[in-house]
Amino acid sequence: MTRRTKALSGASQDAYFRRVLKSFPDVGEEARERIVRRLRGEIAQLRVRQGAHEAAGAVGESAAEAGNGEAIEVHAGGSAAPADRETMAGSPSRRAAVATAAEPFDPFAINVIVVLRTAGKDAALKALNGIGDADNLRLLAREQRLSVDDDLSTTEALTAAIVAAAERRIANRRAAAGGH
Amino acid sequence: MARFLAVSNRKGGVGKSTTAVMLAHAAACWGNQRVLVMDLDTQCNASLMLAGGEAFAKARRAGLTIADYIYDRFDNVADDESGYVLNGIGDVAHALTRQGRVSLLPGSQKLEDIQGELFLKQSKKDLDADAVSVQVRGRMRRMMRHFGMDFDLVVLDCPPGLSFAALAALDLADLVLVPFRPDFVSQFALDQVAQLVERVETHDALEDVPLAERRYVCLANTLKGAGEERMLLDQLALDHPLLRTRMPLLDSIARAFDWDERKKTMEQKYQDALPYLRALHDEVFAAPQLRPELEPAA
Repeated sequence: MTRRTKALSGASQDAYFRRVLKSFPDVGEEARERIVRRLRGEIAQLRVRQGAHEAAGAVGESAAEAGNGEAIEVHAGGSAAPADRETMAGSPSRRAAVATAAEPFDPFAINVIVVLRTAGKDAALKALNGIGDADNLRLLAREQRLSVDDDLSTTEALTAAIVAAAERRIANRRAAAGGH
Repeated sequence: MARFLAVSNRKGGVGKSTTAVMLAHAAACWGNQRVLVMDLDTQCNASLMLAGGEAFAKARRAGLTIADYIYDRFDNVADDESGYVLNGIGDVAHALTRQGRVSLLPGSQKLEDIQGELFLKQSKKDLDADAVSVQVRGRMRRMMRHFGMDFDLVVLDCPPGLSFAALAALDLADLVLVPFRPDFVSQFALDQVAQLVERVETHDALEDVPLAERRYVCLANTLKGAGEERMLLDQLALDHPLLRTRMPLLDSIARAFDWDERKKTMEQKYQDALPYLRALHDEVFAAPQLRPELEPAA
C-alpha cells in the first residue's frame, strides 16, 4: 500500500534523529549529538512516512526492535532519487504510536533577533520559554547562529544564553557599522 | 535627462551585473526605454554578457571603453561622448517599430589604474588628499551624467569595493539597487552601502532616515528557500527597504548569460525566470525616483 511521505533535510532531519535517539535512555546526550552529526554528514535527505516524522520521540524503546518494516527512505549523498532504503521503527503498533504526535520543531519559528529588537528582551525570553525543551533550544541556537555554551542543560539557562547571544549579535553589527 | 539606476554592493558575487543586464533588457523591451548600461566593474561581466567576447575585444582595441572615455575627456568633456557607446547591443530582439533599445559603454580592466593616475594628476593642482578625492569623484560623476542626454535610463553596473567610479555612481544615482545573498556577512555589506548612499556614518544616524525615504532598495538574490534565509531577511527588513520581489536561484538565469549572437525573445532568453524578472521590473520602475521627469508646463 502506498503511503504519503515527507522529505526532511537540514535542521528538521537533525531534529527527527534527535527525537528518535532521545527515546533510547541508554544513549546519552553526548552520544546522541555525535550520532546526529554523523548522520547529518552522510544523509542528505530523508523521506519519512507521513506522521512518523512528527513524533519520532513517541517511538519509545521499542524502536530498538527495528527491522521488520520499511518506514524510512534515506536519500544519501545528495542523490535526487532514493539511493538506499533503511529500516527503522517498523512495527504496526509503533506506527500507530507515532501518528499521534506534534509537528517537528521549526528552529526558525521564533526569530530571536527580530523579537528582541521589535518587542524587547522580556518578550524574547517569554517566547523562548514557550519552547520548553533543551534540545529544541539548542537546535534553535545553532540554526540561528547564536552561540551558547555546550554545557548548559536547563531550559532557563539556555533561554538566557540565547537572548544574551542575540544581544551580542546586535551590538556587534552596530559596532561594525559605526564610525568610519 | 535620463534616470540613473546604480546596481551596487561592496560585496562581490551577489549578482550585480546579472541584475543590471536583466533590468536593462526589461526596461527596453517592456518599458520601451532607451537604456545605456555603463559597465564600471573591471571584471567587465556586463560587457561580456551584452556584447560577447569579440565585440568587446574590438571596442577595447579601438579605445572605446569607460576607461578610455574618462581618461581622454577628464580635462575636457566634449559633446561627442556617443562615439564610445555600442548601440543596439545584446541578444534580445526588439520590435523594429519600438524605440526601446539597449546600448553599452563597455567596461575596462584599465579603469582601476586610470583612477590612480587621475588622482595623481589632480593632486598636482591641489595638495590636500581629501580635496583631490572629492575633485576626482565629482569629475567622474559629471562625466557619467553627460550620457544622460541621449537615454531614458542609465544603468550603472558598479564594481565591488569603493573606487572613485563606484562612489561617483552612488552620488549620481536616482536610485541604488543593492542585490544581496542572504547570508551572515550580507547584513554588514548592506549597512555599509546604506550609509554611503544616505551619507551617514553610524547605524543610529541611518535609523533616523525613514525606510520609505531611502535612496536605495535591496534585492534578495539567489534564494534557495531555506529557513535561515527567511530569518535573515526578516532581520534585514528592520533596517533596510527590501523589494517584495525576491529572485530565486535558477539555472535559467545563469544560462541566460552565455553569449549567443542569435537574437531571442525575452521568453526564450529568460525562460522560467521571466515571471520573476517581470515582477522585478514592475517593482523597481514603480519607484518614484525612476519615474520620468514631467515636462515643464508651457
